[in-house]
Formats: sequence, C-alpha cells, structure tokens
Amino acid sequence: MADDRSADVSTLADNHGNSRGRPTYHFDRHTDGYRDEFLDITHEMHQRCPLAWTDTYEGHWVAAGSREVFELARCPHVSNDHDVQNERRGYKGISIPLTVEAENFRGGMLEMDDPEHRYYRTALNPYLSPAAVKRWKPFIDEITRACIDEHIETGRIDFVDDLANVVPAVLTLAMLGVPLNKWTLYNEPAHALVYTRPDSPEAERMREMYMAMGVDLFTNLVEIRDEPRPGIIDALAELRINGEAPPDVELIGMLNLLIGGGFDTTTALTAHALEWLSQHPDERRRLSQDRDTLLNPATEEFLRYFTPAPGDARTIAEDVEVSGVSLKEGERLWLSWAMANRDPALFADPDEVVLDRKGNRHFSFRLGVHRCIGSNVARTVFKSMLTAVMDRMPDYQCAAEGTVHYDSIGVIQGMRHLPATFTPGERLGAGVAETVERLQTICNEQGLARPITELKESAKINV
Amino acid sequence: MRVQVDSTRCQGHTLCAMIAPETFELDDVDGHAHPVAENVSATQRQTVLDAATSCPEQAITVMVEQSTAGHGAHGRRPER
Repeated sequence: MADDRSADVSTLADNHGNSRGRPTYHFDRHTDGYRDEFLDITHEMHQRCPLAWTDTYEGHWVAAGSREVFELARCPHVSNDHDVQNERRGYKGISIPLTVEAENFRGGMLEMDDPEHRYYRTALNPYLSPAAVKRWKPFIDEITRACIDEHIETGRIDFVDDLANVVPAVLTLAMLGVPLNKWTLYNEPAHALVYTRPDSPEAERMREMYMAMGVDLFTNLVEIRDEPRPGIIDALAELRINGEAPPDVELIGMLNLLIGGGFDTTTALTAHALEWLSQHPDERRRLSQDRDTLLNPATEEFLRYFTPAPGDARTIAEDVEVSGVSLKEGERLWLSWAMANRDPALFADPDEVVLDRKGNRHFSFRLGVHRCIGSNVARTVFKSMLTAVMDRMPDYQCAAEGTVHYDSIGVIQGMRHLPATFTPGERLGAGVAETVERLQTICNEQGLARPITELKESAKINV
Repeated sequence: MRVQVDSTRCQGHTLCAMIAPETFELDDVDGHAHPVAENVSATQRQTVLDAATSCPEQAITVMVEQSTAGHGAHGRRPER
C-alpha cells in the first residue's frame, strides 16, 4: 500500500515537473465548479496523492486522506495560531485564503495553540459538555415546536428560513446570555457572511450587518461586566490568563467564533439531511420507525456525509514527515475533513449514506484538541428538529424549485433555502415571537445559562 | 475483556458513550470519557468493540484476555 502510493506520487510529481519532487495537485475549493467536482477531486486525491501541494492561494498543502488528516490534525507540530500582530512567527490561522475581514482579526481559540487555547476551552466546557447541553433539551424542543407551529396549518415551510436558521440562533444566544429577541439581528449576517462573495453587490450590506452584530456582542460584554448575568459571555468576562483579563478583541473573536460555529453549521447539517430524506422516502420511514436505535448512528452518518464545515487551515510549526512527504516549518496546510470523510480506506461505500453505519469515526467535528466544542449542541439541536419534522410533517416533500445551495462551499457546505410542502396539521401552541418572549422569562427565572457546575437541573418549560 | 480510555487522547467526541452507554461514562464538565469498570461483561463485548472502532481519536484500548491453556500448549507464557 505504502509502496503503491509513493510510486503514484513520484509519477505525479514527474508529470507536473515539480523540481522539489513533492506530490502536487491543483486545488481550489472556492471556484464555482467545486461543489460539482468535489467527488472527482476526492477520488483522484485518495488514489493518487492523499497529501499534495497546490500552488493556489500562495501555495499550501492539502490533506485529503484519512490517515494523513488524522496524523496532521493531532500533530503537536501543526499550529492553529493566527499571529495578527506578528509577535510570534506570523502564522495565518485557519482560513485559506484570508478574507479582508479575517486579515487582522483572530478567530478566538480556534486560532490559538495550547496553552492559550486551553484557558478558553476550560472556561467554556462547563457550558457545552453533554451534561450541560442536556439541560437545554426542553428549551430546544419548545422553540422547535414554535417554528413548526408557525407553518403547520399552511402545509408549506422553508426548512432553512423557518426552522433550521431559527432554533440554533435562539439557543446560541440563550447560552451566551444575549437577549433572545435579538436573534434576527444575528441570524442574517451569521449565515450571509459565509455565502456572500466579497465581490457581490450584497457584500457591503452584509459587512454592515456583521458590524452591527459585533457592536451588539460588545455591548453585551460591557453590560455583563457591569452587571453580571449568567452565560458564556459572563465566563469570558471573568476569564483570567496568568492573572490578567484577555484583551477585549480576543473576547470578541471568541464570541464571533461561537456565533459562526453555533449558527451556520447546524443549519447546513439539518437542511441537507432533510433534503436527502425527502429524496429517500423509504429511508425516512425506516429512520422514523426505528429512531430509538437509528437516530444516533444516522446523525453521525449525516455529519460524515455532508460535513458542514469542510476543512480548516493550519501552519506547519516544525518540519514533519507524513506518509513519506516532507512538510516544512512555515508552510500552510488545508485539512479536508470532507475528503477524509470519504476515504474508502476508512469507510466502506464512502459515497453512500448508510444510516446504521458502524465504526463511523468521522472527521466532521475536527480531531485533536480543537474538537468542535459545540458538537453536543449541534447533535441535540439537529435531533430535535429532525424528530419534530418526522412526527409532525411525516409526508413532507422538498421542492427542487426554490432550493438554493450556497454558491461557494469553501467555508460551509450550506443551503440558503429549502422549501417544502406537507399535509397540514394542527397547531400545538404559540408562534415564534411569543415563544421567544416566554423562553426569555424562563431563562431569567431558572438561570438556565449557568454552567453545569452551578446548575444540574433541566429547563422546565411547562411551569 | 478489559477496556481503557487514554485520557491524553480522548477529546470528548462522546461516540463511545452513545454506542456503549453501559460501559462508558462522560465527565459532566468536559465530556471526556472513562470506562465505568475496566472489565467488560460478555454481553457488552460487541458494543465495546464497536465503540473502540468508532473513536475518532483512537483513544480506546480493548484487551482480550489470552487463554493460558492455549499459550501453554504452544510452550509460551501468557503475554499479560
């Protein structure tokens, strides 16, 4: 196996006339065609060069093979650092290419290495652990119910606009300690920033909305410092590293990371799963009937297959050799979770959705110390929405006309719209606005946004 | 059969506890896993093996007891 690979690699390098003798592959995931070509590119890289150099975006490595991604994601000589002020080694963080917005802005702990990263992670864990997230389940089910009730009598819903955008947004704000009625202020920029191209006519308005969101986050931080109220913002306001409060700009970076991680990824997963289940009615019926045993593995399988966050950049911090390829200090690297998730060396029938897949050690929440800290939130929210749709709209049909996938899937493999029709049903309770108001009262009265170390009980909704 | 979770490798993906909840417990604060007991009952073997192969960080070690008699027959000492 190893011999075959090195033979392929040298042939490829010769074909491309690479003087350094390293495998090369032209790779650009920001082009219009990338979404359609993803499968061909993935197969080609797995067969010929699971770790290859591309000259795009000032040159970087691309890790596509599961073994290579596994090794590099967990390697202590691979850095996430984004050294904005050029105080250390000038590393560029987790985006390739750097956007204008990200150029001088560090994206929270995801662009830090240990030990710095560890301080933030430790502060946030008690808000996001499985036990901590479980307490929110009644809250999540309630906002899901309200979203469905808004549309249940009409027989029409847009699963993105009316459900999958709303639930993660309201929950994330609740966990942060931001007033819930602000969710619309956060919702549009959190998604639009991901899919709006810098050269599009919408870009200016998006930047303004993104700024407004940043200002509101900062306002909340200042308020909470003055007059503490529970939530993740409070934890960040209280955070001390070697006795010192981190600069505000680092805290805002952290909050932007949590918004970005909390909003768009779960939306993308839910929309893709609902679309797939609409196209596979027998599988949908099976999942609904056997959900006690199937919901968990199916969730992991949707995560693997759709990989909402397709990859992260890194910087090589010390010369390393992986699969016979030498990577040098300072070189940039793209870890493709999406391609690793399709590696036939790790997954049988990798391009099929197998709802009861076993041994599904997928890469969708990253590997190593930067494992998605919101993974438990994502799963819980996804399962709540999926279960509610299966229960209350069991015959839903997504409409191909009106379905809009993101043009650019370089950052998040998401959807903008997913309209569907279904047999109308009965409303069970209040709509979204009224429910958000009531949930705010419940949050305040029960102190739901406290860490698991201070509050063990679940939210009580019917009090 | 015995099972261990390498706490330096575990990153709290929680798949083990999802697949074999009788065998793996998650820490309330950081969600990292540890086995409820080191020895795995015969009824749990298959789910524990499934959990081990599903671990994204490959942090779970499963040790199958070697049969002393079997090794004896080959004139070797048991490995563990």
